[in-house]
Amino acid sequence: MHAFILAGGFATRLWPLTEKRAKPLLPVAGIPLVEYLVRDIPEHIPVTISTNAFFKEPFETWAKTTGRMNITVLIEETKSDDQKLGALGATAQWITDHNINDDVLLLTGDNYCGFSFDAFLAAATPNTTLIAVHDIGSLELAKAFGTVIAEGNIVKAFEEKPKEPRTTLVNTGCSLLPASTLPVLIEHAVTHPDNVGGIFEELLQRGFPIECFSFTEPWFDIGSFDAYIEATKALVGDAIIQEEGVVLDRTKCEGSVVIGEGCTVSDSELTNTVLFENCVIEDCVLINCVLDRDCHLKGVDLTGKMLREGTILQKK
Amino acid sequence: MRHRFLIAIWLLTDLIVFMGSYALAYFARVGFILSSDFPFDLFMKAVAMTAPLWLIVLMTTRTFALTRRQRTVRNVAYISYCALVGVALFTLVYYFQYNAFFSRLLLVTAFALSIVCTWVWHIIFEYILRHYLHAKTEFPTLIVGVTRESRELIAKLNRERNPLKPVAILDGRGCKDSEIDGVPVRGKLNKLEEVLNGGITHLIQCNDLEQSLNLLSACRQKKITYMVLPSVFGIVERDEKIETLEGQPVTMVSPKENPLMWFFK
Repeated sequence: MHAFILAGGFATRLWPLTEKRAKPLLPVAGIPLVEYLVRDIPEHIPVTISTNAFFKEPFETWAKTTGRMNITVLIEETKSDDQKLGALGATAQWITDHNINDDVLLLTGDNYCGFSFDAFLAAATPNTTLIAVHDIGSLELAKAFGTVIAEGNIVKAFEEKPKEPRTTLVNTGCSLLPASTLPVLIEHAVTHPDNVGGIFEELLQRGFPIECFSFTEPWFDIGSFDAYIEATKALVGDAIIQEEGVVLDRTKCEGSVVIGEGCTVSDSELTNTVLFENCVIEDCVLINCVLDRDCHLKGVDLTGKMLREGTILQKK
Repeated sequence: MRHRFLIAIWLLTDLIVFMGSYALAYFARVGFILSSDFPFDLFMKAVAMTAPLWLIVLMTTRTFALTRRQRTVRNVAYISYCALVGVALFTLVYYFQYNAFFSRLLLVTAFALSIVCTWVWHIIFEYILRHYLHAKTEFPTLIVGVTRESRELIAKLNRERNPLKPVAILDGRGCKDSEIDGVPVRGKLNKLEEVLNGGITHLIQCNDLEQSLNLLSACRQKKITYMVLPSVFGIVERDEKIETLEGQPVTMVSPKENPLMWFFK
């Protein structure tokens, strides 16, 4: 079995946090998002992370820090959003170029899955596609995802981003594709290079069995600023995470607060706020904010803002 | 650099225009035969001493600013105000220099001619300046946000050959068009750094209010002039004004009322 993690997107909705950083490398509660996935994949399974040329170096640097030997960073030779292969296209190219004829654990790198991959893999039936599904609890929210109509654990239908969802059960970007389905994937990718979810509809149409693994543990699709804040709240809880070299002086923290390495915060109030490395905050009130590294703020009140790296706001 | 050079020429020619308008007033009132009672050379000496002071006053009204349109009523008002100051200064200079009075009608004529000549020259020079700077793309401008208003703005900047020439467009949510009025849509905001590194001098934000801090921050870092349309804040009726409240700038939108009440706001 191989694990293949899709991390080739440019994540424009999370700009400016993703200006110089791939979304899967965004720290959530102080840990890069993709690391939650990788550290849970059983050690014997080789992991390939597919990204684009723009994010090559950050992924390679991060991969070295994982201490895992069987991890490979695969670079799509694209430097901008309009040149990319598409998620399914990239998967198909990897399968073809590397002669993969084994089962594939296909994961999307911008998802946080609270369940254990051991449990997921244990639930797999040989030669049957398995997808992890989560009850999102709202038909309105389900419109943004691939929905799964199931009877028991047998998938009967799959609808990618339906206008009128029939269920609140959604695909979570974690699936196990048996080797027998890979030729279908390669064929489907030619006409639908961007539509990962579409492969399940195609498999069902061709009579391939699909089962689902339903879980109740937390799951987040970090696609927007709000989702990022929600994931941080869920993972951090009512606590403060302080990394090395943090100076926190006369500061009141409420909700989930993450303070990155080398930050200095004084005379401020922080509520559900994430500070990346080396920020200097003085006399500020920050509510639901995410500040990229090296931001210097003095005497400002901000609510619901993402600030790009190196922002300097000093009230005079 | 070209802009500064052109502005220097504009200032010098303005001095000539001012002195020319006073010379014209002299000939109109005194006649083309030079008077011995009211010598032309003494008159022009006083004009020459007044002209730089008049120019300084004119400069303080920001008439030469890149964004100022010369044809507007507001601009004529500023030029008229400066002409009035010019006449007053000239009167004082002449009196202190020669301890003599002269025709009051000459002052009225000089006042009127200095307004007309300066205004006409400003319109002509603005035309030259705009055509030259626009053609040379002296101020490459980035437009952020595709809206109906930004489309109109781009078209207007191009049509009027504004010195701020739109060279690229970005949109936070993406845009189906590949170009707007000949200006390429370069993509979403993840291209910002790349576009700004291409020599952009001005950025006009037309949408994506939530990103104003980040756009401003990027502009500050790269020494780019940042502008924002009032419509980004929902002010679409074009009746906003920048005022100050205890010295702090505020954007003000007042209820519509009798224009005469303007003085008492």
